[in-house]
Amino acid sequence: MSMSFQEKSLWLMFIGLVGGFGFYFVRVLPSSTAQFMPYQVVFFVLAVVMLVVTQVVGHIIIALFDRSANTDERDRLIELKGTRNGAYVLATGVFLALCVALVTESNFIFTHVLLGFWVLAQLVEIGSQLFFYRWGA
Amino acid sequence: MGKSGGHVTNEIRKLRFHQDEMTQQELADRVGVTRQTINAIEGNKYSPSLEVAFRIARVFDVPLEQVFQYGEE
Repeated sequence: MSMSFQEKSLWLMFIGLVGGFGFYFVRVLPSSTAQFMPYQVVFFVLAVVMLVVTQVVGHIIIALFDRSANTDERDRLIELKGTRNGAYVLATGVFLALCVALVTESNFIFTHVLLGFWVLAQLVEIGSQLFFYRWGA
Repeated sequence: MGKSGGHVTNEIRKLRFHQDEMTQQELADRVGVTRQTINAIEGNKYSPSLEVAFRIARVFDVPLEQVFQYGEE
């Protein structure tokens, strides 16, 4: 079974997130500080720029070879199921981040628990959709 | 695919064969879904909505029960 435009797009987003935020976490987390430092913001901006550039360039390349970007009821169902799964993870992350905010004064830890769970929620959402496309919704 | 012990099967592959080996893309275009969705339905990986099921039956000009069957497990 060949991949649809939606599947290729999801794979691109998945790889972009892992690459962009993987780079960010590898560079920033080992040098954990009490408060967020300006140089860490630079890495964050770099990660976001990497993500945006890979998405724009990647989607242009995909669209050049696959112009069938139409969606139907199955695509919408898969998207809804993926969003639901991602929302569970994000809700858990927000709750944990609030717990962290109550027990520590470090905005570094609070921010990274929140950011980490946001990235994880995105990966779960996209991963779920890829799973449903391959093995049935 | 059902959650209550049953599952939906179909005869789309056989019906396509009897329609001069109609392609999945051709069926998809006539039904108004993507080829991947026809492929998923044919492989019993996705149960379509009633509307799409009726449209598939209409393309083959047969009753719905001749295209889809519901079996208890």
